[in-house]
Amino acid sequence: MSSTTASSGLARARRGLAPGGARGGSPKPGNLNRKSKLRAQTSRTFFWLLLPSVILLVLIHGYPLIEAGVQATHDGNLLQTGKFVGGENFAAVLSSPAFWKAAQFTLMFTIVGVFGSWLVGLGLALLLRTRIPAGGTFKVLLLLPWVVPIVVSSTAWNWLVATPDSLIPSLFRNFGLGTPLFLADPNLAAVTVMIFKVWVSFPFMMMMISAALASVDTTVYEAASMDGATRWQQFSQITLPLIARSTYISWILMTIFCVNDFPTIYLLTGGGPVNATTSLVVLAYRTVFQDFATGPGVAIAFLMTMTLVVISVLLYRQIRKSSVE
Amino acid sequence: MSAAVHAHPQSGPVLGVAGPAKNKRVLSEAGDRGRWWRFTAILLITAIVLVPIMVTVVLAFTPGPNSTAKGLTFENLANVFSGTLAATWLQNSLITTLSTVVVSVAVAAPAGYVLSRGRSKAVSGYSLLLFVMQSLPIITSVVPLFILFAGMGLVDNLLGITIIYVGSTMTVATWMMAAYFDSIPISLEEASWIDGCSVFGSFTKVVLRNSLPGILSTAIFAFLLAWNDYLVAIVFLRSNEIFTLPMGVQSFFQQNATDWTSVMALAVVMMLPPIIVFATLNKYFSVGGIGGSLAGR
Repeated sequence: MSSTTASSGLARARRGLAPGGARGGSPKPGNLNRKSKLRAQTSRTFFWLLLPSVILLVLIHGYPLIEAGVQATHDGNLLQTGKFVGGENFAAVLSSPAFWKAAQFTLMFTIVGVFGSWLVGLGLALLLRTRIPAGGTFKVLLLLPWVVPIVVSSTAWNWLVATPDSLIPSLFRNFGLGTPLFLADPNLAAVTVMIFKVWVSFPFMMMMISAALASVDTTVYEAASMDGATRWQQFSQITLPLIARSTYISWILMTIFCVNDFPTIYLLTGGGPVNATTSLVVLAYRTVFQDFATGPGVAIAFLMTMTLVVISVLLYRQIRKSSVE
Repeated sequence: MSAAVHAHPQSGPVLGVAGPAKNKRVLSEAGDRGRWWRFTAILLITAIVLVPIMVTVVLAFTPGPNSTAKGLTFENLANVFSGTLAATWLQNSLITTLSTVVVSVAVAAPAGYVLSRGRSKAVSGYSLLLFVMQSLPIITSVVPLFILFAGMGLVDNLLGITIIYVGSTMTVATWMMAAYFDSIPISLEEASWIDGCSVFGSFTKVVLRNSLPGILSTAIFAFLLAWNDYLVAIVFLRSNEIFTLPMGVQSFFQQNATDWTSVMALAVVMMLPPIIVFATLNKYFSVGGIGGSLAGR
């Protein structure tokens, strides 16, 4: 490529981009040693292309994260930072039974949410892969739970299960199965919230797995069945390994979605009854905005954040490794 | 359920090149029966899965308790628009969501381009940073941002929540754009550089011009996230006339929990835009946000 024309073009771009002749994006010395000026100019352009994103990241993610660390170690409220209290908030949080109960619920909610939605999504993806009349239509319809706002679907679920006279409890009664109080009984409420989460999330899993299955070459199955492989063997030894990477990524993401989930739980049960469905996020929200205990509330959020940072860095490495292979 | 699954591929190699067209005829009657079994199964499953959504729609058009109308009616919708601030909430939601979509794509596309083409340590470090940030609970940022925004008059303000939406969609949007740019061969840009185009010029004229599907799927993602958000809205919005639809629906539901037909009419208003977006742009909604971009990269 001709470096003279390229760099004159770059010079034009620079003038357009940075009228003040800003130095901010000056290239690193190492790049100047290369004979092509293009690289130096490229990194300058790259700097400007990246700048808005960096500013937003600092404002919406970086600053609040640091500030959250400050608040978690102070006894302030929503109006002022307050006095420095060291690890007191963390100690208070870690020694409170409510925290551990919420952590336990979050864990259960996440496990059921991830694997429940994966199993349903996998089953439907496999079924939809076969030739079915109007298969494409079903694929689109089945994505609706993921597309419809949680505010709407939680309202609909409320109508279906909330009171003893709602549709589903009435059906149970008519079949002589008693009248289950789906949102009033603590254990049943926890189960209901988890089923709701699976209902909301399975389309995501279905999409991920369908995309992976679409790239599988079907001739592999012909060869396998000619060699006498049973259908289970074909599934466990061909299909599963081929969708392993997608599965892995979808588990990671769903774990993050479940741990961070607020509306699915809060809108259906509000965290009740008797805190039976209070997750860590719901607990943090209530502690800050209902009990006005900013320090402890932020400490809960901060503990979650630190756990997720560690988990996501590890997982990111793992994904990168598997995509290099 | 499976005779057909296997009948089809097995006959493939024997028939050779003429494959697919003839295979259909080769399918045995048992295979056809398998197809209809699966059809019935998926029909049942879909019907059960969609019960909550169907219930919402049916109730929204059912005459309310004090109504004299028979059959299906638009009365509830009319009542909701005349009796509540539904029109204002809809407008607020549209303003914040569309601004989020535009700004988010405008920020994410250039950044995604750098992520896709850049090979330095700094770029891969930034990519990791974005991944970590998107995985953090937004509740952590919400409290410090609330205090910061309160000082700037951005609490109970649509601009305030829009800034947060852009910030929180931007991470994943950047990843999605980067994944899409990865699929555009760099030789296109190289050719434009030879023709005297700048790096920025070839990004806008060559790369962006060929990225409509990537831009649309990123836009859909940002749209769904901003339209559906509840946590940011419940923290930052205080007054009725500033509410977005999630807050409007929720507050109306809490005040009129027994007036189901009106509640559902409002719910239908809220779920219509994402369904319309989804129905018209479905083919760009391939794997849903970050999942696709992670799987793609």
